Amino acid sequence: MARNRFIRTSLMLKAMHSKAPFSLLAAFAIVLGACSPNPAPTATSTSPQAAGASNTALANGTASIAIGIGVAQTSNVALLGQEEVAGAKIAEKYFNDKGGINGTPIKLVFQDTGGDEQGAINAFQTLITKDKVVGIVGPTLSQQAFSADPIADRAKVPVLGPSNTAKGIPQIGDFIARVSAPVSVVAPNSVKAALKINPQIKKVAVFYAQNDAFNKSETEIFQQTVKDQKLELVTVQKFQTTDTDFQSQATAALNVKPDLVIISGLAADGGNLVRQLRELGYKGSIIGGNGLNTSNLFPVCKALCDGVLIAQAYSPEQPGDVNAAFREAYRSQFKKEPPQFSAQAFAGVQVFVEALKAVDQQRKVNQQSLPDLRVALNKQLLIGKYNTPLGEISFTSEGEIVQKEFYVAQIKMDTNGTSGKFTYLK
Amino acid sequence: MTVTIFLQNVLNGLSIGSVYAIFALGYTLVFSILGIINFAHGAIFTLGAYFTYVLTGGAFGFNGLLANAMLPVKMPFAAAIVLSGILSGLVSVMVERLAFRPLRRRKADPLLTVVSSLGVAFVIVNVIQYLVGAESYTFPADTYGNLPPAVNFGTTDNPIPIRSVQIVIFAVSAVILTVLTYLINATKYGKAMRAVAEDATTASLLGIDTDRFIVLTFFVSGFLGSVAGTLVGSSVSIAGPYFGIGFGLKGLAVIVLGGLGSIPGAVVGGLVIGLIEAFVPGEFSAYKDAVAFGLLFIMLMVRPQGLLGRSFVQKV
Repeated sequence: MARNRFIRTSLMLKAMHSKAPFSLLAAFAIVLGACSPNPAPTATSTSPQAAGASNTALANGTASIAIGIGVAQTSNVALLGQEEVAGAKIAEKYFNDKGGINGTPIKLVFQDTGGDEQGAINAFQTLITKDKVVGIVGPTLSQQAFSADPIADRAKVPVLGPSNTAKGIPQIGDFIARVSAPVSVVAPNSVKAALKINPQIKKVAVFYAQNDAFNKSETEIFQQTVKDQKLELVTVQKFQTTDTDFQSQATAALNVKPDLVIISGLAADGGNLVRQLRELGYKGSIIGGNGLNTSNLFPVCKALCDGVLIAQAYSPEQPGDVNAAFREAYRSQFKKEPPQFSAQAFAGVQVFVEALKAVDQQRKVNQQSLPDLRVALNKQLLIGKYNTPLGEISFTSEGEIVQKEFYVAQIKMDTNGTSGKFTYLK
Repeated sequence: MTVTIFLQNVLNGLSIGSVYAIFALGYTLVFSILGIINFAHGAIFTLGAYFTYVLTGGAFGFNGLLANAMLPVKMPFAAAIVLSGILSGLVSVMVERLAFRPLRRRKADPLLTVVSSLGVAFVIVNVIQYLVGAESYTFPADTYGNLPPAVNFGTTDNPIPIRSVQIVIFAVSAVILTVLTYLINATKYGKAMRAVAEDATTASLLGIDTDRFIVLTFFVSGFLGSVAGTLVGSSVSIAGPYFGIGFGLKGLAVIVLGGLGSIPGAVVGGLVIGLIEAFVPGEFSAYKDAVAFGLLFIMLMVRPQGLLGRSFVQKV
């Protein structure tokens, strides 16, 4: 049997050689298959009418203003992106109910970025050239932002990052800003909270996903915080966001007996890592980074998610009016407290709406050409102050968010592990 | 490196390796009988995991056409894995009927069959995504009943923990290997399959219904793929519709390393690659795949028939 296999294989290899173009094609197909475990599916637009309308709206003044939402609606990253879609949709309804841009409603145009850079680039290009949006809220990952934001910047389209927290995002260009506080400000709070709960922590193991810009940025901050708090960094383990089996890294870390584990990853890989650490017998504290900051983590590690600490840039109990309305709308639709990613997406849409209103008061938006409007919007949004669900925010001239209130939450799972929530620590 | 760390790495390697081995068993079966690499095996692997998830009462999330769907019944895991295997076997037979048989009838270049299987793989995976979305799903925590989550192979001071589900996967691979070897070598069906593999034309001249045995091979391969997908899904969660596709490429390295067409070779190849990956130091974990394919490359240069394949003797 094996002998014939060998004959056939060498014949196949010979055939490949003589049909070089075909083998190139096949090899290309195989490489494509290998290279994109999460390929971005073709982008779908949910409101083709608005695309044409937004351009003609500026002439006849009756239709709506298009704002682009370019986040991950498919692939693993959709675990974070879905929450952003929810927040954006609540914002659309809330602001249109209040009259939109001084009477002209806004219309959100969704383009799916998928989980990779190429998907984000495609989604942004479609939003800019086909859907003719005045601005974009997105993308979901910092890794995607580094590739897609320059496209928008060159086209002079303002972008508000709702969840890009890596170092260097606002510096990408004049048209790039973010409503997600950088990891350097948010992350250290969770380490301080862990020490408050267990002052005996001495040895820390850090895990991070090395194929993702945000996680690499976040782990630098975590590692620096560990040093600043005079703790011992006993091991740094690396993995990929696409990994599922962490046996090697987990056992290598457990071997040095850490009291605290800090994980910088995304929801699916982070959840698996938490689960495997607990199953292998780890009993100490776990801190999750912003990539694990979603209830989509719960189905992956279930009851074993319990106790994970995650720093938050948002609390549902923030006392402002806008947050109260946002929280109410979210709870009545989804029957649970709103998560950070939804609040940040809401804030992104809010900043665009309020800036557009200010621009409209100086010169009617319906009478401006699209390029002029985009530039005016970008200039205006950087100088405004906004009362959002994240509290009062504003921007530096570079587009970095200025935010004052931060929190730490701990995951609390119910006993059978099917549902859980984020409990905010005082 | 201390003894503890060495032993831990060995056991880690066997765990990782048995995941590759269990995937490669179904993969190599089709290759050994038909001489074609069936890339759709990765998709059947994924499909099997989803089927078992649904049959054990799992509900789907709110993406996809079947949003929030779940079955009214909840089967026990063992029954679900078998039923899921049968369903996946049937899908595999359908794949053969639609994607492989027409090409075989026309005596098409084997490379076209490979490309066709790749296309089928993506179609299946995209259908899954369309129906149930791209979220992760996890089997219930009590899937393995009262089994402890990990077994300690070391001492209390120097623990060497291995997750129980990895031990289950290793044990099941061993059982499948034994059953398959018995089936192929000691039964009438096995002899007929080997005859078809040797030379399909002569076999049919001798009265063996080659098409029937090819269908049987695909069914068994699909069943095995589904069992593998379910077990791996229970270990690391079903990370979305693409979670099996990555195994397809690594599986190729496994079966070439072990010996094309050799069933014990698939297991040996898997364990060897697993062991090598486990000993790759943490800093270089991004290059684990490069290690596997590097080994493949070296094996093709040095010993093209693989570890357990028989060498081809040239007859003048």
